[in-house]
Amino acid sequence: MNKNSILKRWGRGIIKNKKASFGIYFVSSLIGLSIFGPLFTLDPTAFLGTPLSPPSLEHFFGTNGQGQDVLSQTIAGARQTLLVAFTTGFFVVLVGAFIGGAAGYYGGKIDDFLSLIINVFLVMPGLPLMVILASWLPPGPLTLAGVLILTGWAWNARVIRSQMMSLKGRDFVLAAIISGESNTRIIFVEIMPRMLSLLASSFIGASIYAIGAQVGLEFLGLGDVSTVSWGTNLYWASNDLALLTGSWWTFVPTGLSIALISFSLTLINFGIDEVTNPRLISERNWKKQLPDNTLNNGVTPVVRKNG
Amino acid sequence: MSNSIRYLTRRLGFYSIAAWAALTLNFFIPRLMPGDPAAIIFARFRGKLTPEAMVALRETFGLTDGPLLIQYFSYIKSMFKGDLGVSIAYFPEPVANIISTGLLWTIFLAGTSLVISFIIGTLLGAIISWKRGGRLDSFLPPFLAFIGAFPYFWLAMLSLYIFGFKLEWFPLRHAYSDDVTVGLNIPFIFSSIYHAILPATTMVLVSLGGWMLSMRNTMITTLGSDYITLARAKGLSSWIVMLKYAARNAILPNFTGFGMALGFVLSGALLTEIIFSYPGQGYLLLQAVRSQDFPLMQGLFMTITLAVLAANWFVDIAILFLDPRTRK
Amino acid sequence: MAKNLISIKNLDVKYITNKKPIHAVKNVSFDIKKGEIFGLVGESGCGKSTVVQSIIRTLNPPAIITNGYIKYDNKDILSLSVSEVRKLRWSQISIVMQSALNALNPVLTIKEQIIDVFITHKGMSKFEAVEKSKVLLELVDINNDRLESYAHELSGGMRQRVVLAIALALTPPLIIMDEPTTALDVIIEREILLKILELRKSLNFTILFITHDLNLLLEFADKIGVMKEGELIEVGITEKIKLGGQKEYTKKLISSIPSASGKRGVEFFPEPNLSIKTGAPMLEMKNINKEYLIGGFFNKKTLHAVKDFSLRIFKGEIIGLVGESGSGKSTIAQLITRLETQTSGSILLNGTDLKRNRSKNVSLGYRKKVQMIFQDPFGSLNNIHNVYHHLSRPIIRHNIVPKRKLEKYIYKLLESVELSPGKLFAKKFPHEMSGGERQRVAIARALSVKPDLVIADEPTSMLDVSIRMDILRILAKLRNEHNVAILFITHDLASARYLADRIIVLQNGKKIEQGISEDLIQSPKELYTKQLIAAASPGWLKNAILEQ
Repeated sequence: MNKNSILKRWGRGIIKNKKASFGIYFVSSLIGLSIFGPLFTLDPTAFLGTPLSPPSLEHFFGTNGQGQDVLSQTIAGARQTLLVAFTTGFFVVLVGAFIGGAAGYYGGKIDDFLSLIINVFLVMPGLPLMVILASWLPPGPLTLAGVLILTGWAWNARVIRSQMMSLKGRDFVLAAIISGESNTRIIFVEIMPRMLSLLASSFIGASIYAIGAQVGLEFLGLGDVSTVSWGTNLYWASNDLALLTGSWWTFVPTGLSIALISFSLTLINFGIDEVTNPRLISERNWKKQLPDNTLNNGVTPVVRKNG
Repeated sequence: MSNSIRYLTRRLGFYSIAAWAALTLNFFIPRLMPGDPAAIIFARFRGKLTPEAMVALRETFGLTDGPLLIQYFSYIKSMFKGDLGVSIAYFPEPVANIISTGLLWTIFLAGTSLVISFIIGTLLGAIISWKRGGRLDSFLPPFLAFIGAFPYFWLAMLSLYIFGFKLEWFPLRHAYSDDVTVGLNIPFIFSSIYHAILPATTMVLVSLGGWMLSMRNTMITTLGSDYITLARAKGLSSWIVMLKYAARNAILPNFTGFGMALGFVLSGALLTEIIFSYPGQGYLLLQAVRSQDFPLMQGLFMTITLAVLAANWFVDIAILFLDPRTRK
Repeated sequence: MAKNLISIKNLDVKYITNKKPIHAVKNVSFDIKKGEIFGLVGESGCGKSTVVQSIIRTLNPPAIITNGYIKYDNKDILSLSVSEVRKLRWSQISIVMQSALNALNPVLTIKEQIIDVFITHKGMSKFEAVEKSKVLLELVDINNDRLESYAHELSGGMRQRVVLAIALALTPPLIIMDEPTTALDVIIEREILLKILELRKSLNFTILFITHDLNLLLEFADKIGVMKEGELIEVGITEKIKLGGQKEYTKKLISSIPSASGKRGVEFFPEPNLSIKTGAPMLEMKNINKEYLIGGFFNKKTLHAVKDFSLRIFKGEIIGLVGESGSGKSTIAQLITRLETQTSGSILLNGTDLKRNRSKNVSLGYRKKVQMIFQDPFGSLNNIHNVYHHLSRPIIRHNIVPKRKLEKYIYKLLESVELSPGKLFAKKFPHEMSGGERQRVAIARALSVKPDLVIADEPTSMLDVSIRMDILRILAKLRNEHNVAILFITHDLASARYLADRIIVLQNGKKIEQGISEDLIQSPKELYTKQLIAAASPGWLKNAILEQ
């Protein structure tokens, strides 16, 4: 591959893109913190001080209802939450790509059947189904990931299916069929690389979904409440009546961390969008060329040197 | 017109299949779990359940000694009669009764806030796509994406803490105050609206960004099309081009998306209810989880599914009116 | 003659990108006199649509007009304010766009799309506006009960009439027509053009007509401007352009228009191979029918795309399959390449019947023997892979040459389609090549496996007129070198005449007529063939007016 391949150009574009690089920077530092952070913080499960004491020099983020250090809990909680989120994101895209891809590529009866399944899973309300599944299964990260994948794959499958349908009718695919390529090779070598940006943004989207849904389930008490994760942190905060005692520090740091990582992931997706749709950037540059306050009002602007 | 009826019947057919799938999942989930469901429940509730409750429970799940197929059919039969079994936590109250007390509240709160958020979001999306690159367009998408990055219920907690607990502008819990009588009277209606403002606002805020962005995207595609160029060339005013020509088309895929995303967005609404101790389906769900009330959980899943399916059917009818191509 | 209605001076238009701006229109100047038909011709992407959209200033972002004047009625359109531009639009200058299906809003009725012109510009009440719209539709021979219809309920010709009617609503002095007949078939195209000329007589408007088809302009334009890569190469009265104009490019355009009538020019092409074919045909189609089920789940309809079609192709033969869009010619290509399966009838390769199996499990042996070249050379190459990948895959798959000889073989292949040096082109990606170069890669790919039959589905219709002949010439040369049979599918009878030994004319899925190319051109038997030949011969529009 030389430097002119589309994929390499996108890669360079992502690195140069402000939104994407900001997002990547934050996400990777949070991942780094979740891996190495717990080595430097206090034991998140130990009783260390007066319960519900506000932030102080000793405990930067205060202590929670169990007298545990909130800062250590926030850092330690990232590990399980992110692990479950990215695992879920990966499998959601994998399942979505297989089912949506097969439906879109093969069409006909196979598509009728798979689309029906996809649509049924789409209209079924996620939370109540997750709750039922999670409450029958033993609590823990494996259950969480499984439940999230089962209720989350359909959206991706739908998106990938429609992309596959539009690509498989293209001449380059027909040309590959006529030259005798096998289906597997056509799907994985010819079509899938063309969907790379879609797959990447689907993975990110699914990971964001998995963070939110996972925290929600644990908050309901459906996680393993004895482990430390962002969801269980919020579960305990609510259980210890954080609101009624006014101890905001028990739920604010975790919530901000969740928002920060979800937002950073969203920024990466914005960046991917901008790089793969050069029109968005073109329009921004277009606006810069115009005198102030000119917006697209349906009349092509005139910018002449001599007025 | 017969084509319209055919279209609606076909959609109805799909919803029946979806409803049947939900029913079947409901029936098989307990049976597919490791171990005998009755034994699991018995173990978890050892000593807490009366023998009569135990019998009722077995009946709820259709856990008779008959073959699986017979159990399945008797389960479906009782579902059709609206018999969702007996609650464990509220024994011997039937699940159907418990759910019906909360159903209206959820439809009121989640329904209105979803519709409001869809309308505002779609309008905003149309406007910022029209004034692309403008101040609003550079500010709103990242701002709302940031708000949307918070979990629904966490934002609910924060707003409850600030506006309910600290500033005391809004009530802390429930759907109406204790001093009004339930019924169609002015104090009750005012009290319900007053209680709904804070939860509804958080729901609207969090979901706004999604609707806005998807409308913005479809609008941008639409604005590039030939019929918009023609409409502009005709010398029509910006408002007519934007609303009559562009938004009218761009909204169609968003409507379908609204129906499809309903099941997903509703989940957030249910969690918000919990924070505000709002007596709807979400709050019941929490009660069910806390007391491991399986019949109640499954009943909730069924009713919420049916509500989402019904809402989708209304969306289909709306699309039928908006898109002449479906009437063909 | 009358004075200038509009005059464009030194027009420059740029499209802003994330890199260097694209200079789409460079210093273009021309005048149009009152009552004239001014034709602007050029390849797709030459900037002709950008020029006319600058006149009514409907170019979307990221376009900016960076220099020049457009004088209309003593005012510079480029200096007008937004509201003045809006007033000027439609009342002074209106536009008929290329594809009526895209130009009409799918969710609004025809009525709604006409009355808002009257309401906005004339301040009419809704009732008055509807009455005016009825008159307008009748002007273009459409019954006024169609006002309540949606675009998808009308035929292609009707839609184009509606778009024409909308443009006539305020009877503006200038009407811009941007490829108004390109999407239509020959017979409807003629009807619409006649209607336009008839209306022009009674309503007295000036026309700025844009097209890629110089042949068409020669029929009725008074003056012609030739554009290339954003520049206006030359402007002249039609008679002068017809004789070749003054510039090299114009000469090339004029000379590359093959004619379906008169004597066959021999300067480009080898003589057809008319040796009598004996023995078994290489490929035979017997009584093929293909039906498609279209429509939704409940209202299924059958579309009979190919009807009782038979065909015999012998080794080394070029057959031209000529038909308009919807004639079933592409379906036949898909049947032969087994992308689709026939409803009835049989296809025999070298005498063996191919079972009606699904496209996805056709034998490798068949794939090696039958190859295809597609219409759109950008679409048929995967833009994430380079040329080397595209050529090496089929060669490896079919074991054509041993691995160690692969590279040399590919370079030689590229050079045989006149892409030299092959080593350089092998490294290129599709987006780094021109349309003609990409199409040559596609030809090289089809030939890489040494097939017996190549199906070429409109291989030149997406290419610039000036290089179409080159591609046809390469195909003719390769036939002689490799003794490969070619099924040349085209809508253009004239180019089939030059390349093919035999021609088959197709209409609505049925074979109308077939014969040796020159015989068919010189003495067609069927009415439809005669119409096709007439439409591709100079002077056809004048003849049609006389006929009327």
